[in-house]
Amino acid sequence: MKTKDWLLPYLKENKRMLGFVIFFGVLTIFSAAFLMFTSGFLISKAATRPENLLMIYVPIVAVRTFGITRAVSRYMERLVGHDVVLRIVTKMRLRVYRLVEPNVLSSFAKWKTGEVLGILAEDIERLQDLYLKTVFPMLATLFMYGLAIAALGWFSWPFALLMAFYAGVLLLLFPLVSLLVTKAKVQAMKAGRHRLYERLTDAVMGISDWQFSGRQHDFIQEYEREEEALSQDERQRMRFVRWRNTAAQGVIALMVVSMLRWTAEQTAQGELAPVMIAAFVLVIFPLTEAFLPISDALSEIPAYQDSFGRLSRLAKDQKEPKLSLHQDIPRIAAGGGVTLELRHVSFHYDHTEQTLDDISFTIRPGEKLALLGPSGAGKSTILKLIEGAVSPTAGQVVLNGVPTTSLGVDIAKWVAVLNQKPHLFDTTIRNNIRLGREDATDEEIVWAAKQVKLHDYIQSLPLGYDTPLLETGVRFSGGQRQRIALARILLQDAPIVVLDEPTIGLDPMTEKELMLTIFEVLKDKSVLWITHHLAFIHMVDDVLFLDHGKLQLHGTHEQLLKTSERYKRLYAMR
Amino acid sequence: MKKELLAFEGMKRILALLFGFTVVQGVSIILQAKWLAEVVTRLFQQEAFQEVYETLLLFIGAFLMRHFLQHVKQKMVYEYSVKLGAHLRKEVLDALFHLGPKVARRLGTGNAVTLLQEGVSQFKQYLSLFLPKMVNMAIIPAMVWLYVLLLDRTSAVILMVTLPLLVIFMILLGLAAKKKADKQWKVYRVLANHFVDSLRGLETLKYLGRSQAHTQNIQSVSERYRKATMGTLKIAFLSSFALDFFTMLSVATVAVFLGLRLVDGEMTLWPALTILILAPEYFLPVREIGADYHATLNGQEAGRKLKEIVDLPRFREEGTCKLERWNHQQELQLNGITVRHEEGGPPSLKGVTLSVKGFQKIGIVGESGAGKSTLIDVMGGFVQAQEGTIQIGGQKMTHLQKKDWQSQLLYIPQHPYIFHDTLWNNLTFYQPHATAEEVRTAVEKAGLGELVQRIPNGLHEKIGEGGRALSGGEAQRVALARAFLGKRPILLLDEPTAHLDVETELDIKEKMLELFCGKLVFLATHRLHWMPHMDYIYFLKDGEIVEEGTHQQLMERKEHYYQMAKAHWGDQA
Repeated sequence: MKTKDWLLPYLKENKRMLGFVIFFGVLTIFSAAFLMFTSGFLISKAATRPENLLMIYVPIVAVRTFGITRAVSRYMERLVGHDVVLRIVTKMRLRVYRLVEPNVLSSFAKWKTGEVLGILAEDIERLQDLYLKTVFPMLATLFMYGLAIAALGWFSWPFALLMAFYAGVLLLLFPLVSLLVTKAKVQAMKAGRHRLYERLTDAVMGISDWQFSGRQHDFIQEYEREEEALSQDERQRMRFVRWRNTAAQGVIALMVVSMLRWTAEQTAQGELAPVMIAAFVLVIFPLTEAFLPISDALSEIPAYQDSFGRLSRLAKDQKEPKLSLHQDIPRIAAGGGVTLELRHVSFHYDHTEQTLDDISFTIRPGEKLALLGPSGAGKSTILKLIEGAVSPTAGQVVLNGVPTTSLGVDIAKWVAVLNQKPHLFDTTIRNNIRLGREDATDEEIVWAAKQVKLHDYIQSLPLGYDTPLLETGVRFSGGQRQRIALARILLQDAPIVVLDEPTIGLDPMTEKELMLTIFEVLKDKSVLWITHHLAFIHMVDDVLFLDHGKLQLHGTHEQLLKTSERYKRLYAMR
Repeated sequence: MKKELLAFEGMKRILALLFGFTVVQGVSIILQAKWLAEVVTRLFQQEAFQEVYETLLLFIGAFLMRHFLQHVKQKMVYEYSVKLGAHLRKEVLDALFHLGPKVARRLGTGNAVTLLQEGVSQFKQYLSLFLPKMVNMAIIPAMVWLYVLLLDRTSAVILMVTLPLLVIFMILLGLAAKKKADKQWKVYRVLANHFVDSLRGLETLKYLGRSQAHTQNIQSVSERYRKATMGTLKIAFLSSFALDFFTMLSVATVAVFLGLRLVDGEMTLWPALTILILAPEYFLPVREIGADYHATLNGQEAGRKLKEIVDLPRFREEGTCKLERWNHQQELQLNGITVRHEEGGPPSLKGVTLSVKGFQKIGIVGESGAGKSTLIDVMGGFVQAQEGTIQIGGQKMTHLQKKDWQSQLLYIPQHPYIFHDTLWNNLTFYQPHATAEEVRTAVEKAGLGELVQRIPNGLHEKIGEGGRALSGGEAQRVALARAFLGKRPILLLDEPTAHLDVETELDIKEKMLELFCGKLVFLATHRLHWMPHMDYIYFLKDGEIVEEGTHQQLMERKEHYYQMAKAHWGDQA
């Protein structure tokens, strides 16, 4: 089962702590049970009016002790349980991160978006509950079950077996049946829920269309009908749970009656002191109280199936990183600047048609190139190739003659990227800029902010450079966010900068200002500017036009204007 | 929320029923204890098992009665909560579809959908958990206590003293925990978010060459998070510790005092046992209130948010005025329209006055945030003007959320929504009874022929989210085909081509210009190449119209519009 991979190793790893959790769990149930047991004994014993008060002194102390112990051990159980779980969470996070990190640029459709990665993080959070609400209580209760049966077996094995059977119904049979029932239902309910979720999302996204069509009431009626149909499944499940709980109480009644009968027999035969009757009967209630929640706890398991599924699929999908940390990274002699060269590069994904076909171009130190083309023409694949995240099917991408695929993390020393939506992290502006170079001083950060013309704005904020990027009500506009990212890139100080449509979604004024800043601060660097429209195209030295995986046009802006009708037409559209 | 609960339909009846059932249940609990104690006492006194049969049966009867009533109560409350949940959901849906995209956008689609689905189910869960617990709490401890008082005053006093003590400690410790949590909240949130944030920003980290080194950060932040959490939990769990501690100690104390008085002969076994069995029952409702505390909070919160949507101000009822189909003679006037999205907030439109007649093509330009979209929203009937009037054919109103008006409109936003349905159904959304011939013509006119050829099931292929994903250009063509098919006389376009690559944009522009013929068109955009095709242009700045005229006139004025054009064409205008 795929659950194993993401559950058992962590339990094994934390054996000792887990032992504590279960110990306290058992102690909690045990104390609650023995509080009632000794209380029953105490009262019965007292009713015999013993001459010697010492006879009931021990149970008096025991009663109080169990009362206090139960509270303390419950507290400890929860505390240690959470601690273990949080330790496990750290381990899981590291594991997920290590799986995802090497391949984040090379993987394509499947989980490349931040959203999907966010879901993985949530999956880990969810699994906390599996431990706290299902795994720990189940282990503790099973342990207690064994203990109680063994204790009863000391008096009479046949009767112990009978009680083991009854309690087994509560602790094993009911939970397993519940698991099977929910398992069957959960899939159907989930599918139904998902369908409704999509329908509703669909409708809310297209709400203006519904309004204009004048048919919104039809939709609501239809939707409500489907909700009603879906709630039938839930209703059935609730009915099952109700009847199961009622039946469980029936079993408890049976246990009480059997216990009364057995103790009556035993006392009649003189095997058991009559003072024990109350003790034995009363202990049933706290014990079964601990057993009852197990049914619900176990039937929660199918709800985690999807999370487990996603995590194990992640482990399966990830290929081993091509480059280990310790492998020698070839040196690049950068004395005379760095030249990026694509030599007859072709690339295609598995099973699909050619994405890039025989692409060659060179960016010499300080040169500015624009890479133009409609969406889907393969522009972003070129970025991945330059980053060395994917290997060309044919040809080579080289930096001063060294293939970029051999550079691993070192590529960031040579190539910086400003993309459409650079991620700004949930920390201060200062820390976000410093991400460009870890050892940057505060002065250097200010310098970078001044370069991108953001210093004055940052200064005007109450917290200045220590303003957190989220919350606090300060909203950074798209242009400002790009500027922060640009400052970061300035600190990174790579000789080549790739701009991957950085102005998409900005209005023309903001776009203009941003592009001017970009070209100003990057004037000494090589720039490859990936874009789909032609405003500011005159600012680059060379224009490449990519379409259907091939370089269709190549030349300076002026040349192309003169020689290409198509280019001219597009330029008019800016 | 508790008071608001009473406002729900049928709530009083349910509470009354619950009340009745719970009283009977309380009686069963007492009887069950009484008879069990009796059986045990008689067995203790060496009576034969056969002799206690009758009392034993009574005990079983009371015990089962108690749990059967529990069953009935749960069923009743569950059914009620399902009904109420469905009712609330329908109200919210009605409100949402009345208020339209503006509100949906403000709430966030994901948020609204989650609220309507998970929120409703949380609310249901809250009702079905909370109502019986609340009634139990109100009734059962009191009944049990009274019965204990009848049997033994000392035990009653112990129980009586413990309960308020317990509640006070729980509240005090709860407050302490909350204070500590509040103090740490900021740090806490950052630590808790760190991992998600890291995963989302992984691509950026990779570009910066920091992704491997970041592994260390994840480890250390996660450990810091654990320590911070444990610090808070140590205090947070104290409140349930207090609950456990006082309950258990109280039961233990009752037992000890009973024992002591039994030894002294002041008491007999039966009442002592009865009290001992009842003592945990006395505390049970309090303990149950504490459980599922979070589910209760979430449910309350969800209920409140749902109610908020229902209570959002609706569009003003302005009579059922009839609007004619738009024609050459018709005139639309806006007089001093002001729109604020938030009360007291800055206006998105300020005193906008304009007038259009017949089938004009109107360009609306300006920078981001100048109010272009809001003006389109006014035309679409998505927002209501706080000041000013809208006048069509002599009728004055403050919003255009009118069936007669909206049924003449077609709205093409930047990202037209593609329903998760077949291409055919998407195309005929406004015209469910269109013929195959009409659809074919529209497909050709919108330039969708190539797509229809390419996809396996042609017009019957499922598209949209979860189906075949369409590119931005294809989605725009679908919207275009809808418009060709619908033959509606008024078109609203909000930035329809800004996100497309130039070649696609060029092609779609040509198709759109064809669509514009003989229609009233409002086109909001910052892509100025549209403007020479417009009959009249309004330039918006900070919510006000600062310039108007034809493209030619505005270029000659060399002011706002001219400046923008210059920026747009990269200073080479």
